[in-house]
Amino acid sequence: MTLLLAVTLVALQAPAQGVDPRLQRLDSITRPMVAALVDSARAAALPTEPLVQRALEGATKRAAGDRIVAAVRRLALDLGHARDALGITTSPPELTAAAAALRAGAPAATLTELRRIRRESLTVPLAVLTDLVSSGVPVDSAAAAVLSLAAKARDADLVEFRRAVERDVALGAPPASATAAAAAAFTTADVQVNAGARQQRPGRP
Amino acid sequence: MFEPDEELIGRVVRQLRRPVTVDAGLDARVMEQIARLPARRPGGPARAAWRWLTRPRTIRLSPLGALAIATVLVAIVLWRPDRRSGPASARAFGFVVVAPRAATVSLVGDFNDWDAARTPMQRTRKDESVWTAVIPLTPGRYRYAFLVNGVSWLADPAAPAARDDEFGAPSSVVTVGGS
Repeated sequence: MTLLLAVTLVALQAPAQGVDPRLQRLDSITRPMVAALVDSARAAALPTEPLVQRALEGATKRAAGDRIVAAVRRLALDLGHARDALGITTSPPELTAAAAALRAGAPAATLTELRRIRRESLTVPLAVLTDLVSSGVPVDSAAAAVLSLAAKARDADLVEFRRAVERDVALGAPPASATAAAAAAFTTADVQVNAGARQQRPGRP
Repeated sequence: MFEPDEELIGRVVRQLRRPVTVDAGLDARVMEQIARLPARRPGGPARAAWRWLTRPRTIRLSPLGALAIATVLVAIVLWRPDRRSGPASARAFGFVVVAPRAATVSLVGDFNDWDAARTPMQRTRKDESVWTAVIPLTPGRYRYAFLVNGVSWLADPAAPAARDDEFGAPSSVVTVGGS
């Protein structure tokens, strides 16, 4: 039994001590700082893979070390805030999407409300919310639209909704109006209709 | 000082052979005492299960058995939810970009550790300016970009832009849903 406890303790300690070998791509000054942030995130039971990927993105894009560290630190904070809003049972993909939504300006209350009304994964609704805001839709309009659809819409429906908004915006519609119109169309329609079929609507490229 | 053995044994045998007379009311008195004892509460399956669960036991384990259990625990500890990636839930995702003057184009993103050598894109046979790559993606949100000729970063014009672009080179976002 002593052996059992010893091996378990070693296993519990090991991840905290080992540095992810992928971080060898960072320079010798940046690497320990990023590794410390990753370890802190792991100790806080936050997903570490998004942090590693953000650091690797910076390394591949030849960003300065301080920018990489700042980006990883900011993402770790966002992941923590996302978990505060969504709860401790939130999956890593959901947390990653929620962190991006918060960074885009979505209120934490919107995330909490999404969790309350939707039983399925929140990854796609949160990503759609973020993408709408990124394409110029005001946060309030985007949040209201996603909340109105999230309870019943499938992931594919939500992606198609986002595409419809982006098409209308590209055609010159004001982002807020395009979002409200698309949300109204999707709400009144049967959301179980095959999402791809909506691409065949007349008047859309 | 002591009686001879034969005499002692003889006395014991005589005592044992004497007839024993039992009081006629003994049975009744015993049953009356039993009736006065507090009745035991009926124990259902749940109570029996609780007794079984809470009864202390000594577990004997061979070193080999302990090692096997430790191995299982280590596997559970090392298993990371954010490293989960099962081919069963992965879906093939196609990426396309038009780069007429490119000699090489790489697809680089969260799904391949931002390693430019991992996913080189291929020219299409019909149009040499169109480059494609197909990779399996599990549900999630991924940042990515195209690296042209190993030096120029290009965002996907057909995908949402990554708003939190912190490194001075554009990235795009792809979201893979599960329903």
